[in-house]
Parts: sequence; C-alpha cells; structure tokens
Amino acid sequence: MKYVDFPNLGRRPASEFIVAGVVDPEPAELDGISPGAWVFDRQSLPMQRLEWWYHTPSQLWFTVKRDTASDEILNATLAGEKTGD
Amino acid sequence: MSIRLLKYAFIEDHAEPRFFNTPADLKDAYDVVIIGAGGHGLATAYYLATEHGISNVAVLDQSYIGGGNTGRNTTIVRSNYLTPEGVKFYDASVGLFKSLSEELDLNIFYSERGHFTLAHSDATLRTARWRAEVNKHYGVDSEVVGPDDILKACPDIRIDCGGNHEILGALYHAPGAVARHDAVAWGYARRASQAGVEIHQHTKVTGIDVVADRVVGVTTSRGKIRANQVISAVAGFTPTVLSMVGLTSPIEIFPLQACVTEPIKPWLDTIIVSGSLHLYVSQSSRGEMVMGASLDPMELHSKRSTFEFVSNLSDQMLDMFPFLSQIKVNRQWAGMADMTPDFAPVMGTTPIEGFYIDAGWGTWGFKATPISGKTMAATVANRRDHELITGFNLSRFGDYQLVGEKGAAAIGH
Repeated sequence: MKYVDFPNLGRRPASEFIVAGVVDPEPAELDGISPGAWVFDRQSLPMQRLEWWYHTPSQLWFTVKRDTASDEILNATLAGEKTGD
Repeated sequence: MSIRLLKYAFIEDHAEPRFFNTPADLKDAYDVVIIGAGGHGLATAYYLATEHGISNVAVLDQSYIGGGNTGRNTTIVRSNYLTPEGVKFYDASVGLFKSLSEELDLNIFYSERGHFTLAHSDATLRTARWRAEVNKHYGVDSEVVGPDDILKACPDIRIDCGGNHEILGALYHAPGAVARHDAVAWGYARRASQAGVEIHQHTKVTGIDVVADRVVGVTTSRGKIRANQVISAVAGFTPTVLSMVGLTSPIEIFPLQACVTEPIKPWLDTIIVSGSLHLYVSQSSRGEMVMGASLDPMELHSKRSTFEFVSNLSDQMLDMFPFLSQIKVNRQWAGMADMTPDFAPVMGTTPIEGFYIDAGWGTWGFKATPISGKTMAATVANRRDHELITGFNLSRFGDYQLVGEKGAAAIGH
C-alpha cells in the first residue's frame, strides 16, 4: 500500500485519494485553440504543478502542489480556500 | 562439451566480434536521426537500412541501448486485442517475432506459452467473448475457455482465489509468448550496424532545430547534427522531446513496476494475466517468476521502484498461488510508461515536416517492436503513414477518432 504524507490530513493510504488531474483553468481566449487539443492535450513534463485531489473518506476536494519528478507534495489547500502561493 | 566449445578453448584469438562498432565521433549530417536506442528505434534503423536502402542513419541514446522500457517490460508477446486496428497490427508483429531469431541470427528465446486472461466477473467474461470474436474474425487464435481448461493448463492455480474473486473463465490465446527482450534490442543493433547504421550511446538530444515547420537538425550533448528526418522513439521522455518541436500530445507518464523472484523449479508453462487482480505472471527460462502489476496511481517522472508495489503484488499473487509464499523476490524495477487516453500508440507523421513519432506505447510496447520498426521505417522512407498505422496518427485526438483499446489492456488502469 502506498502512503501519502498529506499536509492537512497526515499520513494516509494513497488509495483514499483520487488524483483528478491538473488544475487547468479555461483560457480567457478560446479562439485559435482546437477543441481536440483542449480536451486531450497534456503537459506531462517533470515539474511542480497544481493538481485536483479528492479525499474519498472525508469527501473533500483539495488543490495540491506536487513535484511530478520527486512525487513530493509541497502544499495542499482545501478547494475554495485561497491558495497558499 | 560441444566440439565448438572445445575448439574455442584451443584457439589463440578469443575475442568475439563486438555487436556493433560505431565510430567515436558523430558525423555532421545524417539522412535520418533516431532518438532512442530501444527496441523500437533500433528496429526502425534496421528496416530503414535493409528494406529501404537508407543506411546513413544515427541512433542516439542518452544512456545505453535497450536500457529504457525495452529492458524493463515483462517480455510478453500477444495479439488478442480488441479493435480491428490493434488486432491487425499486433498480429503482424507476432508473425515477425516468430522468425526473428533467424532474421537476426541471434536466439531471442521466443517461447510460445499460451496466454490466459482470467475473468473474475461476468463483465470481464463478456469483454473476453467480444475480444475472441474480433480476434477470430481477423484470423487470430483466441477463444473463451472455462475453469476446467485453465486447471488443465495450470494445475497449481487456485480457482476460487481465496474465496473473494473466483475465476469464472478466461480468454485463451495460444500464440501468446515470451521472448528475451535484451536479445531483441541487441540483435537489431547488430544487424543495423552491419548495414551501416551508427549507434551512439550516451548522446543526449537537447534540442531539435525546426525552421518553418521543417526539421533541419538536432542538438546533442556532443554537438549539432544536420538531418531532415528525425524520429522520436523515447517512451517515457516523449513529452520532453515533443516540447522541443513545439508539439503537444495527450501522453501522460506513469511508472509501471515489475519484479522477478529467485529461480525455482519449472511449474508454470503458461502466461497468466488477471486485470481484476492487477497481475500478470510467467516463468522465465531461468525459472524466475516474472511478475508485473498495474500502473502507479499518479503521474510521475521517475524510475524509482517501491516496496508498496511488491507488497500489493504479493498480496494478489498469494490469493492465486498460495504455495509461493516462501519464494523470495530477487529484483524489482520501474519504467516510465507513456499512456494515451485510448490505450493505443501514437505513430507516424506529425505537423512538423520530417519529424516522426513512435510513442504512446504505455504498457504494450515490447510486443510491437518488430512491426513498429517496419512500419515506421516505411513511413519515413515514403514520407507518409504506412497503411497499418494510419489509425494511430497524432491527429486522431484533434479529429476525435480514438481507437478505444482499453478493454484489451492486460493490466488494471
């Protein structure tokens, strides 16, 4: 079982979470962006990025800043609250 | 002792010829540059040189040959896919694999074992029937079998799986095989090198030079090279290479882990796969149990292997084969799988002229090594997609023409 050191919840089994992808706000200008690219394309590079995480037991959504090269969680914010950075 | 070995002992000159000889220095220009010296890249180079007369080719790798996913998979070859595109493509690959030892003059230990994809629920059994029908339609040997047939082929399996997820049946694919993956890479490397291809290891591509949407060369850690045709065959590094030419793709990188146990007496003739238990296992010719599980749960650019993986896998293995509880795990490792949303590869031409992609091989790349080399070579030589791979072009996502292969993926996702 993989465990995740989650800032707000402590050490939890990874299976309690659903990682729902990168926080990717709709661009202000949609002209010039093909719908297919908008639906499917990803930036899957080793980097620090903001992701949506859902914690199933508590039914809470978080935005999590994670390093996709080291798997380190840098911070987590309850969805709806102001982000830490 | 064989006569050959005896003669060998008495000769003076013991040096075996090297598998490939590549000049120390890079040339200024090549007709084709292939990024990634794994099975796919080397096979592409081999078929370019032997079938299309293009031998002024450089294969570059940031590390050593076959050190990426070519050497990290669980060596299973099969063609019981779900979509017509997939079945035709992988069946052609199995055909090439069967004669590959002769073609490469190197024993790749291709061993047909039969391949059981276990069904633990009615829903899985339904998909198995669907796959069997599609397979039969395209002439691929595939059928749904019951628990008795599974027990006959593998008497040691526990059909009730500890009582939680009884095995109801399986999709049986007789041509399912295993092969020595390193031999495939090295065999292609030797043959390509004999045909004039240069293989440069420890040569990292740091940039691709594009002028007016045309490839003109690559920048490497050892200097610049001019080339009008560049192929990316880099598995887990695909998004990085694509970003060098300003392209995006739906590919996401997830680690896939595997392990082998200490060698034990041969007891498992077949390949056993269970999508529900996230497990696939075969026994190597050395007697090791070669085992893999599902992808790690989140995107990660790392080849680090974890204890969690082995403990999860063992848990599932012991449900099916409790007598393995005393067997020690010898080695474990991880590879970076480039996953696509439809579980089909991304191959062929791209919007950048002269830039070709062989990617999106996720967890199903090794079995496609010969055919992807052959079709990519034809694509590069003719500057248009080979007929077997037109359905796998990068443009399918923008056109909403996805291939939908998830039902035939061996492992849970």
